Amino acid sequence: MRPLDLRGGLLDGFLKEAAVVDSREAYEALRIEWAGRKRGVIRTLEGELRELPNKEKRDFGRLFHELRRTVTATLEEIDRRLTAAERAHREVGAAVDVTLPGRRLPTGTLHPVTLVYYEVEQIFRQMGYSVVEGPEIEDDFHNFEALNFPPDHPARDEQDTLLLKDGRLLRTHTSPVQIRTMLEREPPIRVICHGRVYRNDNSLRHSPMFHQVEALVIDRGITFGHLKGAVQAFFRELYDAETQVRFRPSFFPFTEPSAEIDITCPFCRPPNGDRDSCGTCSGTGWMELMGSGMVDPRVLENCGIDPNEYSGFAFGGGTDRIAMTRYGMPNIRMLFENDERLLRQIHR
Amino acid sequence: MLFSCDWLADYVELPELDELSERLTFGGLNVEHVTPVHDDVVLDLEVTPNRPDAMNHLGVAREISVLCDAPLSPPRPELEEGERVAAELAAVEVEDLAGCPRYAARIVEGIQVGPSPEWIQRRLEAVGVRPISNVVDVTNYVLWEMGQPMHAFDLDRLAQSTIVVRRAAEGETLITLDGETRKLVAEDLVIADRERGVAIAGVMGGQDTEVGDSTTRVLLESAHFDPVSVRKTSKRLGVHTDASHRFERGTDPDACVRALDRAATLLAEIAGGAIAAGAIDVVDPACLERATVEFEPGRLDAFAGVDFERESLRRWLDGLGFELQSSDGELWRVLVPTWRRFDVERAQDVYEEAIRVLGFDKIPAALPVTTGADGPETSEQRRRRQLRAHLAGQGFAEAIHYSFISEDDDRAFPVLTEGGAPIELLNPLSELYTVMRRSMVAGLAHCAELNQRRGAESVRFFELGNIFLDREIESLGLVMGGVAGSPWDGARQVDLFDLKGVVDSILDFFDLEIELRPAELAGILTGTGAELRASGTERVGYFGKIDSEGSFPVFVAEILCSALGTSAEVSSVDIPSRFPGIGADLTLTHSTDVSWGLVAAAIRDQAPEDLVDFSLRDRYLGEGVPDGAVNTTIGFHYNARDRSLTQDEINDRQTAIARALEASFGWREGGAPEGRDG
Repeated sequence: MRPLDLRGGLLDGFLKEAAVVDSREAYEALRIEWAGRKRGVIRTLEGELRELPNKEKRDFGRLFHELRRTVTATLEEIDRRLTAAERAHREVGAAVDVTLPGRRLPTGTLHPVTLVYYEVEQIFRQMGYSVVEGPEIEDDFHNFEALNFPPDHPARDEQDTLLLKDGRLLRTHTSPVQIRTMLEREPPIRVICHGRVYRNDNSLRHSPMFHQVEALVIDRGITFGHLKGAVQAFFRELYDAETQVRFRPSFFPFTEPSAEIDITCPFCRPPNGDRDSCGTCSGTGWMELMGSGMVDPRVLENCGIDPNEYSGFAFGGGTDRIAMTRYGMPNIRMLFENDERLLRQIHR
Repeated sequence: MLFSCDWLADYVELPELDELSERLTFGGLNVEHVTPVHDDVVLDLEVTPNRPDAMNHLGVAREISVLCDAPLSPPRPELEEGERVAAELAAVEVEDLAGCPRYAARIVEGIQVGPSPEWIQRRLEAVGVRPISNVVDVTNYVLWEMGQPMHAFDLDRLAQSTIVVRRAAEGETLITLDGETRKLVAEDLVIADRERGVAIAGVMGGQDTEVGDSTTRVLLESAHFDPVSVRKTSKRLGVHTDASHRFERGTDPDACVRALDRAATLLAEIAGGAIAAGAIDVVDPACLERATVEFEPGRLDAFAGVDFERESLRRWLDGLGFELQSSDGELWRVLVPTWRRFDVERAQDVYEEAIRVLGFDKIPAALPVTTGADGPETSEQRRRRQLRAHLAGQGFAEAIHYSFISEDDDRAFPVLTEGGAPIELLNPLSELYTVMRRSMVAGLAHCAELNQRRGAESVRFFELGNIFLDREIESLGLVMGGVAGSPWDGARQVDLFDLKGVVDSILDFFDLEIELRPAELAGILTGTGAELRASGTERVGYFGKIDSEGSFPVFVAEILCSALGTSAEVSSVDIPSRFPGIGADLTLTHSTDVSWGLVAAAIRDQAPEDLVDFSLRDRYLGEGVPDGAVNTTIGFHYNARDRSLTQDEINDRQTAIARALEASFGWREGGAPEGRDG
């Protein structure tokens, strides 16, 4: 090997050899031939260049440096390529059946009633309501009297009250929490409450314990139109923006006027499904979900709020029914049987 | 409640059926079913308890006339009275005007009892009433027409032809029309003659004076009774009739004589006979007074959120029977019709009338703009949410059980307060639900059983709810058992320490140190139970293995939520050292009587400097370990904040703690270890 060879296609020769390297062995051979520390072409040329006169040293030096740079870079590049290929090869060698089951805990679930309630709570909190609570064991005053159920009035019949031997009772609705809230707080009031309520009714379609959620707003200038607006906003958030709400006059002792709330059935509304075969609304297109009304002035008075200054509305209903329709459960008692095969299907 | 369209059409022109249904439903009388019957259509209306006035055809027709803007034509009986004078044929004495503010009667003589004509029978059948005889059918017809319950007595069977309205004597008995012997109490109102009770006022007539085939002279009763009195008696006796249903909701005292005239006329028409001249009418005039209500239409507009046309308002109120005394200015004054006297007393009640007749759908929806602060989530609410998320993250499913349980279950599980008794239900649904739960695990234990029975290989449930001790408190229950994992990745049976791990993780989550003591607990297998004590004294929870017959062992735990604190404040963190930590193990041979809890407490008490953490590594019983002793290996982890510790420093600390533990718990051949109290 002589410096003269630098002019005679030495670089091209290297590149030609490098182009066919396809294995670690070939790479090693190439590296030793060209960049070997003892007898590699670069090393040899380097020694010989040192012997040359200064003028030639400069001429050949330029070519030599070009050769060295190219050899180094090319070898590095080949090494990188081979290393990557080798790693890929190794991985293939240790391949697993990725479809085998992983190690895991069962997926935890919250009860459907809780899931529905959290959603409801979220909607109300976004509208500025806060959440209040009250006891499940109540007295006649909070559950009935303050809510304008006179003693010995037939309106009490519809409540099927479960009584306790000590004279108290299990609340038949969440409305006593309204009373407690109004007795405790000055208006403006904007709250919801949720919880267990009880009725002495164990027929097929009922459960002696179920859950209600109820909203209460008391302020100056609250109108029936506001009740409609709040109910509509709530259901459009809970279902979707297309949900229609209608109000049917009804009677509750603690509100006047009172209204039942129907919403368009979210399960068979076009294009969701076939209304005639809809099991949720029995083909009517409407679901009766809540009761509502303007708080009766007598209830306000009972709670020390001046009905000439303030008015308000309340609406509420069963969260169990919302859960049942949402998850397609035909029977409310399934909710409290706690069959794991059922509950564990519901994650959200 | 059923109504015949054919019948309604006698008093008002009906629109198309669809429109009629819609107007009724959105005017306050919800149409639940529409059933064609022969040439008629029967409407099943939901009549709320505040509207006794709409529990008859004329009342519903009045509603239709207002809702559909059609004229109302009530029946106008053409009464033809005979020569004989009612007041000379019978007498009425009301001893209790409060219980019976009005008692009116007419006499019809010379009738022939038999079946009533087909048109009456058909109408009664349409509304679900069984035709009996012309006399009885007429009284029922008038009830369903005008809402006035009536009764017909066989006049010849009334001792001294006299009606006495009085309270019952305590223990007085009376055989009612259904053949039952009713025992009365002093607060029951009875209709009597000179000798005995002949009917329970407003509820049911008596058998003795019942109209029969041989009856020729009848006394028709048309009275007004106090709703509360009727309701109390009806409830106590468990007898609910068409009459009591109306009386206890409030009938129209002004209708008594009108209804009497109508019934007598009908009776004379279909059963022959002559109507004696005059109605006997004992009345407290106060019951006929009409209430005055004043209201401002402007306030109605503001309350409803829509402006009412004043002319429509006048027309509607008039149609509903209100007498407009003044309806020009800012303040209107109306007289309430007697058939609404129990329902309409205040301006608000009039607003309701206006709003429902207008239609709720005509009122534009608006969102209220309310002021005042939004209440943030309370710390209890946050704790509840965090607990649920924490447990779901550990693979638990949330369960919800009834809050009432059986007395057996109350006894079968631990109660977190000493002594006391459960709160009992007065009218439980069944013996399974007689007391309020004092334990969260009763329901969960049954739940484990049920799921085992249905083939579950494991259970993992929690429930968050109230228990009922001397007050209602929130509590968390856990149940778990069965296989953890799958055979593929190494299945094993869940044991007590899986459950305890969950309990520990909860306590950890809320940064709690709670003392744990072995305990004997109801329903928990001996030797597996432990109770949790906050601040050393108050019992706030327990766990253990329950005695169950299922296919795998079941473990339960309960923790009072209040013991978990509220985690409202987040404590500041310890900044981890930047220098590497060093671990070191120590093996202590001690008696099997020494609990890990004791050893751990001793380490915490005498923690060497820079000890960050320690944990149980291993326990070994067997070769090389004396009988009655166990080798406990404890891992220690040291880390100084400001430097790397040297091995010599670690060795010094380990030696010191080893010596201390050895002194307290170390195994002494042939003798008890010293200083067991550590």
